[in-house]
Amino acid sequence: MRIPVTTLRSALALKLLVFAQSGAIAAAATTSLPEGIGGERNWDYRYCWIRDSSFTLEALLQLGCPAEATSFFWWFMHATRLTLPRLQVFYRLDGGAYAPERTLPLEGYRGSRPVRIGNGAAGQLQLDTYGELLDAAFVYADKGYSLDASTGRDLARVADFVCEHWRDPDAGIWEVRAAPRHHTQSKAMCWVALDRAVRLADAGHLPRARAPRWRAEAAAIRRFVDTQCWSTAKDSYVGYAGGEDLDASLLLMAIMRYDDPDSPRLRGTVEAIRRELSRGPLLYRYTGDDGLAGGEGAFLCCSFWLAEALAVAGRREEAARLMDELIGLANDVGLYAEEIEPASGEFLGNFPQGLVHLALVSAAVALAPTAS
Amino acid sequence: MSAGAALLGGFIGTLVLTTTLTAASALRITRMDIPFLLGTAWTEDRTRARVLGYALHFVAGLMFALGYYAVFVTLGRAGWLLGMALGLVHGLFAGTTLVNVLLPAVHPRMGTPFSASNATPLLEPPGFMLLNYGRATPIVTVLGHAVYGAIVGVFVAAGGR
Repeated sequence: MRIPVTTLRSALALKLLVFAQSGAIAAAATTSLPEGIGGERNWDYRYCWIRDSSFTLEALLQLGCPAEATSFFWWFMHATRLTLPRLQVFYRLDGGAYAPERTLPLEGYRGSRPVRIGNGAAGQLQLDTYGELLDAAFVYADKGYSLDASTGRDLARVADFVCEHWRDPDAGIWEVRAAPRHHTQSKAMCWVALDRAVRLADAGHLPRARAPRWRAEAAAIRRFVDTQCWSTAKDSYVGYAGGEDLDASLLLMAIMRYDDPDSPRLRGTVEAIRRELSRGPLLYRYTGDDGLAGGEGAFLCCSFWLAEALAVAGRREEAARLMDELIGLANDVGLYAEEIEPASGEFLGNFPQGLVHLALVSAAVALAPTAS
Repeated sequence: MSAGAALLGGFIGTLVLTTTLTAASALRITRMDIPFLLGTAWTEDRTRARVLGYALHFVAGLMFALGYYAVFVTLGRAGWLLGMALGLVHGLFAGTTLVNVLLPAVHPRMGTPFSASNATPLLEPPGFMLLNYGRATPIVTVLGHAVYGAIVGVFVAAGGR
C-alpha cells in the first residue's frame, strides 16, 4: 500500500489550505469549478466549514501537529462567538460571518455558469454541524488539551440548542437547496452532539447539571432514527425519514460510532450504499432529487469514508484494497478535487478539496497497524 | 483639576468600557474581548488570560487617564464633552493603529498579514477598525472609548472645583 506517502501528501495539502493569519482551513482553494461541466453546480469553497472541524482536529492530532490543532480549535471557538449557540455553516477565513452569495459576469470554467462568490448555504440550518463541533471539542479534550470554563459554557449552550432543534427539518450535510427534510445523518449527528456533550460533562469540562437533559434527548433522537429512518426493504438506514433514497453520508454513522460499526444495521447500510451508489471504487452522494438541474460526478470523500467504515468494522483487507484503488486516482502530485467523473476519471468541482484529504488521512489512520 | 481625580475617572471609565465590551461580546454583537486579547499576550491559558487581561486593561486605562489629564491641563479646561472628543480620537486610534497594527506586531500569539505558512497563531489579527471581529465592532469600540473619555472628563472637571 502507498498509504504513508499519500497521507503525508494530504497533510501537506491541508497545511497549504491553512490561512496563516488565523489558523482557519479553507475547504478548497477555488470557487466555481463545476461539479458537472457546463452545469450550474458551481460553488465558492474559500471558507472554513465547521463541518470539517472534527475531521480536521483529529487529522492534525493524529499527524503529530498539536500546534496547528490548537490554533484551529481556538479559531473556530472564536469565529463562532458571533452566532452561538446557533452555528453558521461556515465562516470566512478571517472569522467573519458575512459571505453573501453573488454571481460574477464571467464565462466560467468550460462554460459552466454561474460563477459564484460567497455562498448562500451560510444561512441554512445544517444540524450535523453541531455534532461535528462537539465531537471536535471532545477529541481535543480527550487528547489532554484543556477546555476553559467559558468554552465549556458555550459548548453547553450548543448542546441545549441541539435539544431544542433536532426535531426541525434541515438542509443536511450536502446543503441541498430543495425543501428542508429530516435527514438521517443530521439526526444521527445530533445524537453525536449530545453523546459528546454528556461525555464532556462526565469529564468535568461542561456543566454536569445539564447532562440528564442531554441524555434524555439523545435517547429520543435514537428512537426517531431507528424507527423513522430505517428501511426494512433495503436493510439500511435511508437518507431521510420516511424515504427510500440512500445517502453515502450515512457511512459517517459508523465512523462517528453512532453504533457498533459491525452491528447488523450499520453493516446492512454499508452494503446498501455499495449496492446502489457505487461505480467501482467510487460513490455517488445520494439518489433522488436535490433541487438542482443536471448531474454530478462521484463524491471522493464518500469513497474514503467507505474505506474507513470498512476498516473500523474490522474488514481491513477490503478497506485496504479500496484505499489502493482510490490512491491510484490522485493526480500527478497526489491531490484530489471534490469529485471525479467515473467514466473518464476527470476531476470535477473545487480543487484541491480539504474534506477529501481529511477523509483520506482519517481512513489511512484507521488502517494503520496501531489502529487494529 | 487633579491627577487623583483623573485616575479615579480612569478607573471607573475603564470599568464601564470593559463591561460594555464584555456585554457586547456576550450579546454576540462583537467578538472583541480586549482583556482576553491583552492576557493572551502573556499566557496560553484562556482563563488566566482573562484575569490577567482585566488587570492589564485597568493599568492601561489609568495610564490613558493621565494622558487625558495632561491634555486637560494643557488646554486649561476639562469636561465631559472634551473628554468624549478625546475618547473618540482614542477609539479611532485603537481601531486603526493600536489594536490593528501595534498589538499584532508584539502579540506572540496573534497572526499578522506577514504570518508565514509555518505560523500557528491562536488569534487572528483584528484588522482595520477591528472589522475581523464583527461588523459592529468599530461602533462598540469607538462609543465605549467615547464614554470612557466623558467619564474621565467629568471626574477631572469635578476634581477642580
